[in-house]
Amino acid sequence: MSAVTDIPHAVRRPTREILLRRKRGWFFGLRGERVAQTVFQGNALISILVLALITFTIFRDAVGFIPMNRQNLEIYRRAGLELADMLRGQVTDHSTMSRYLATLRQQEADRLIHRQGQTAAQAQAQLAAFDDFATRFADTIAAHETILGTMTELCSGLKERYTVAEDMRQAKLNLLNGLRSAPPGRALRLKQQAEAMQIEVIDFKAEVAPLLALRPEVFAANATLAAELSRLAAALPPASDPDLQRKLARLPGFVTRYLAAVEATAQRMAAWDQGKPVGAVEAFNAFAFGRKWITASFWQDWYGIIPLLTGSLLIACLALLIAIPFGVAAALYVNQVARPLEQKIIKPYIEFISAIPSVVLGFFGIAMFGETLRRVSQSPWLDWVPGFPMLERLTAGTAAALLALMAIPTIFSLAEDAINNVPRSFKEASLALGATRLQTMIRITVPAALSGIMAAILLGFGRVVGETMVVLLCAGNRIEIPDLSAGFGVVFQPVHTMTGIIAQEMGEVVRNSIHYRALFMVGVVLFLLSLLVNWLAQKIVRRYRISIG
Amino acid sequence: MKPAPPTVAALFGRPTPAKQAERGVFWVLRLSTYFVLCCAAFIFWDIGTKGGAVIFRPSAPFINIPFLTEAPETLNVFAFRGQKLILGDRQFRAFKAQHAAELKNVRIETYVYSAGGIFPNIAGTVLLVAGSILIALVLGVLSAIYLSEYAVDGPFVRFLRLSIVNLAGVPSIVYGLFGFGMFVIAFDFGVSLLAGWLTLAFMVLPIIITASEEALKAVPRGYREGSLALGATKLQAIVTNVLPYALPGILTSSVLSIARVAGETAPIMFTAAFVVRDELPWQVREWTDFFFQGVMALPYHIYVVASKIPQNEYTRDVQYGTAFVFLFTVAAIAMTAVILRQRLRRKYKW
Repeated sequence: MSAVTDIPHAVRRPTREILLRRKRGWFFGLRGERVAQTVFQGNALISILVLALITFTIFRDAVGFIPMNRQNLEIYRRAGLELADMLRGQVTDHSTMSRYLATLRQQEADRLIHRQGQTAAQAQAQLAAFDDFATRFADTIAAHETILGTMTELCSGLKERYTVAEDMRQAKLNLLNGLRSAPPGRALRLKQQAEAMQIEVIDFKAEVAPLLALRPEVFAANATLAAELSRLAAALPPASDPDLQRKLARLPGFVTRYLAAVEATAQRMAAWDQGKPVGAVEAFNAFAFGRKWITASFWQDWYGIIPLLTGSLLIACLALLIAIPFGVAAALYVNQVARPLEQKIIKPYIEFISAIPSVVLGFFGIAMFGETLRRVSQSPWLDWVPGFPMLERLTAGTAAALLALMAIPTIFSLAEDAINNVPRSFKEASLALGATRLQTMIRITVPAALSGIMAAILLGFGRVVGETMVVLLCAGNRIEIPDLSAGFGVVFQPVHTMTGIIAQEMGEVVRNSIHYRALFMVGVVLFLLSLLVNWLAQKIVRRYRISIG
Repeated sequence: MKPAPPTVAALFGRPTPAKQAERGVFWVLRLSTYFVLCCAAFIFWDIGTKGGAVIFRPSAPFINIPFLTEAPETLNVFAFRGQKLILGDRQFRAFKAQHAAELKNVRIETYVYSAGGIFPNIAGTVLLVAGSILIALVLGVLSAIYLSEYAVDGPFVRFLRLSIVNLAGVPSIVYGLFGFGMFVIAFDFGVSLLAGWLTLAFMVLPIIITASEEALKAVPRGYREGSLALGATKLQAIVTNVLPYALPGILTSSVLSIARVAGETAPIMFTAAFVVRDELPWQVREWTDFFFQGVMALPYHIYVVASKIPQNEYTRDVQYGTAFVFLFTVAAIAMTAVILRQRLRRKYKW
């Protein structure tokens, strides 16, 4: 006030303007408040950034897989491995039939010795005709096996030479690259060294010619095979046991089907074109629909996700099959039935279960649970359960049971939330109409909370599919598509999973090799799967949210 | 004797079928709930008794101190002068120096990591957890302040929330791949503490953000408005009137995420964990090396001893002992979180 009266000439600003005047410019022209907000906002941005970086990182390393797999498959075709594998399939199928015969003989011998009390020699004598038949049956494929051996040698030799040449080419390239930065004297030496390297240029067309020359031999052998097999199928050995007779009678059917397959293979072999290019789509399909995951093999590496994906899904579904009833039942019990004291204890307890580290659960599975389960399965009065007695200690079932324990807390707390959010008035209206608590629960509360429960189940699925340590330790880690024809017994087969394969093989692969990139591809599949599950869960919650009003 | 008070059954005769069904179904629910609780209790009991036998001793000092303070060693089992000797590697070398001639033709069974203790693993886990929680808390709380105090609903915020929800669902092994591709390879940190910290921090970030935001939102509007009405700026209102009241909630939820970080194995498998390392984390030549060293960690050690060495009487001790220490440490952290949260709910009721 005094300042204004002392200096009358100073221009007096209006009070309003003084009050609203901005204190500008102490940090890039921003006020403190703005700076704070920017800092907070920038921090929040990190979440988006991290998601973007995850996407970028795993996709960047995964994308290179397609061209590399394309090259991988191209060599497979150009070096003739594909042709050899066609013949190999034929031989493998034949030996499957021979194995069938061997199994029959085993069963029959068992029957003769254990049921009828014959001695081993007697049984041997009685089975002589069968054995003779089986031997002649097995011999029919001998010619093919010889041809296949020659083919395998030719192809793998060719591939080996190609790999060596490629390695040398790479080495030469490295030398030439080093040349630029080397001092003149050394450069000269390097140059000589590089020039001295003789890199073999492989003319696949010419090299494969001997392989192709074997084709007529195969076709000739096919004709003999067909004649022999038909003759054998018409003259089955005599069987005293009706069961054996019935099983033997199936053989001609197998033979007919096998011969048809041989015919088809022969046509494919005749039409086989070494120069046919492998497209990017084919390379991708070999991953997405490939039924084999074979790495570090001398013959051919395959990176097909199907065995891993089915393993993961099998375990996840089994785990959910156990976890859903228990999780939802616990949620219903705690929210609707339990007394307050029970509620107060059970809720934190189940939350507490979710804190059990997965690796400890996995260890428990290996050290205790797996063995116990197998012992239980071997007790004679459980023989009626399909898949029992268990052959392995670590199976899909072992892992799934432990994973269920991990999924239950997730399903429980989300489902309990959903049930808790059902408006009281719904319940009260139902009770007022004379419904019992059970009727109210089944007809009113559960349907109203269904969207939340579904979301809980989905998120539980996400948790189980993404879980690593339990499956790595307890699933048995056999890379094979679960054999669904075993019925319920599929539960007790060892499987491998997507998460497990990454954890197991990532530490050992060569950086930027095709195997490394294939593992990132598996990571991409997992990532997309988790996004899908999340998206579905949100969609369900949003779509079926009940409106109160 | 007084007559019993009339119950429903007395008033209406026999219970109706609906009532009976209700009782039956409720019992099914009750039993399945308690079955789950029993399963979990059995795991605690099994590891608690078998591991407890390794950690606790019947006589003073009551705790197996060497197991908690020594580094893992190889265990050697062999027969010597008609006796079965079980020696750790250091002892065995001293023994061998003395009896070299006699040991020449003796068959020696060795089991890696089965002797000694797990001290480096404990140290490594503590370092990993402390660093990653620190990073995650700073990033998470600042993000939560933005979301709860500043954010105005719009495309940006919606996208932000979507990313957070999705990040929370990404499997931990994918975080491991990400950390490996990003920090270990692209940034060239190598297998190191720093790479592990960042990977783990990003993994728990969504949990911390969600929980902190909830804690911030729980502070009543009136607190902010009172402060603003007295002329405080928004930042001042947040610092003086919101954060102090939200802090207990934020800390409680972060205790739970400590349990999560400590329990995860997959993300550190290829970013931070070494199977074996002779130096302790603080034995570094220069202080910068501290951040770029791999460490041994408890969860990874459990994985290694569970899967890479056979199960028998000699290896059981280290397996169950490690699992015991790890499980009950994590459980204690989780228990603290659960208790803290319940007390908090009672304390702050607005």
